[in-house]
Amino acid sequence: MINLLRMDLYRLKRSKSVYICLGILMAATVLAFSMIYLVATPQGQNFALKIGLLDNSEIEEGQAIVMLDVSGIEEGQAMVNGADSLDMFRETCMDGGMFGCVIGIIITLFMCGDFQNGFIKNIMSLHRTRWKYIGSKLAAAGILNFFFLIVCFLFNSLMNLLFHNMVSYAALADILFYLALAWFINTAFSALVILACILTRSTAAGVMTSLLLCGGIIQSVLGQITSLFHMDGWLKYTLYYNMSAAPSAYSGIGDLKGAVLGLAFIVIYSAAAAFFVTRQDI
Amino acid sequence: MSKEKYAVETAALTKVYKGKAAVDHLNLQVKEGAVYGFIGRNGAGKSTTLKMLCGLLRPTEGDIRLFEKPVGDPMTARRTGCLIEATGIYPHMTAQQNLILKAKCMGLADRESVEHVMSITGLTRTGSKKTKHFSMGMKQRLGIALALLGNPDLLILDEPINGLDPEGIREIRQLFLELNQQGKTLIISSHILGELSKIATHYGIIREGCLAEQLSREDLEKKCSDYFQVQVDDVKRALTIAAEKAPALRTEVCDNQTLRVYGLKEGAWLNQLFVESRIQVYSSGFHHMDLEEYFLSRMDGMEANGKETGKND
Repeated sequence: MINLLRMDLYRLKRSKSVYICLGILMAATVLAFSMIYLVATPQGQNFALKIGLLDNSEIEEGQAIVMLDVSGIEEGQAMVNGADSLDMFRETCMDGGMFGCVIGIIITLFMCGDFQNGFIKNIMSLHRTRWKYIGSKLAAAGILNFFFLIVCFLFNSLMNLLFHNMVSYAALADILFYLALAWFINTAFSALVILACILTRSTAAGVMTSLLLCGGIIQSVLGQITSLFHMDGWLKYTLYYNMSAAPSAYSGIGDLKGAVLGLAFIVIYSAAAAFFVTRQDI
Repeated sequence: MSKEKYAVETAALTKVYKGKAAVDHLNLQVKEGAVYGFIGRNGAGKSTTLKMLCGLLRPTEGDIRLFEKPVGDPMTARRTGCLIEATGIYPHMTAQQNLILKAKCMGLADRESVEHVMSITGLTRTGSKKTKHFSMGMKQRLGIALALLGNPDLLILDEPINGLDPEGIREIRQLFLELNQQGKTLIISSHILGELSKIATHYGIIREGCLAEQLSREDLEKKCSDYFQVQVDDVKRALTIAAEKAPALRTEVCDNQTLRVYGLKEGAWLNQLFVESRIQVYSSGFHHMDLEEYFLSRMDGMEANGKETGKND
């Protein structure tokens, strides 16, 4: 399995999609910081005045501005007031499910590439214990998640610095706790995408899984429907809910629920993927 | 007397797709050090068999042993190199990167092995060219290079010379002969029978999933008898006359001008007979049956006799 992992990492390093997706996350961070800076800080508002994005009367009256409405301004100010760098990271990348979607798309392209160009034949003819293939892909996804979480968080902090320390910095212990929690949940999302790719071998299906499940769309729709019948208790056991409702600091053993759930889903999805791949023809 | 060693042995190997047997109780035996030509029409079950040997397909039934060990044994997998159907390569990578990728997958640390297979398959000059820009022949060479990585003892190659130019075919043939001289076993499936007959030491003919015949080059030589071919203006009359005067000889009409007569030692009397019967003879002469002709006659013979062998010989 180590050999397979070495191969996967070699390929990941040379994969354009990794850098493109990292670029997308970074661009989203820059965009979010820029917007919040413009609407929620005095310096930003002055700058917006200079470039004609706002006029004085609108600021004084707190009325709608050219590109952002009042709710946008209030949202931005609320975000900045009392927020720290971890909250900003969560708002820009994590809580909306964007991070999970992006990683899911990379994993889809990475997995389906093996099947689409036939390289899987080279792998499976050598590694006839096929669960190792899933193990290696999961390990690669785990490493990718770790790398992306660290890079995105550091980039977020860099943005904060560039935008004149718009928010305060979170405590290191809280950052590490949250990143660990996020790692478990996002690696579980990756395991789900791996399972979808093994079952369908289709890039389209993998991307749809990433968008609908990792992005929380299915969970939201089903949550709305089941809430009509007061049967929405199951939502608390979904990965998406635990991602968006994850605590930002450790205050007790209950805060580890997301990590435990993530680990459980990693095991379930990986076992299912290993089960199917050992029974499939290549 | 020492027991013969087999690189590949299958017992009642069967693969069923949607109720139809693509491979039906196949008992294949490939001796170590042989070049085994695996022949059959499209859809006969060649690729399915080779995929099962490579561990890509799970047999519905039956047993496979490579080097006298079960097919799932990790050591036998390492001793086997495969090129099955289209070459599996990453299009956005170079030939070298594809080879490094497989080398990593095998746990090979040295770059020398990559460079070695690149040099023997003529890929050293590809440089930074991505494989998506490769010609079909170059892709095929890379596929062979991937199969050769790790110096395997058994090479399973499905249509390895597809897309190669005549020069490339000659180079690859030479390479296969050299590999065989080093003691490696090769199983080659190809529709280019003329080329296959230049290197194969043994043949297996598969038809509708069953092994119709398995024979050595020597056996084939014996079976590929000489025949007398004559081109005439009226092949029907020629056939009638030949059948009347020499009923013991086997005759075959190839087209509306060509007649073949098997088992004839001397042909002048037949020519004379036709001329005397006012049949115009355009040309005549002795020919030797090659693998292609043998294969086609075997297939035609089977069709004529129904499913002659049923299961394996």
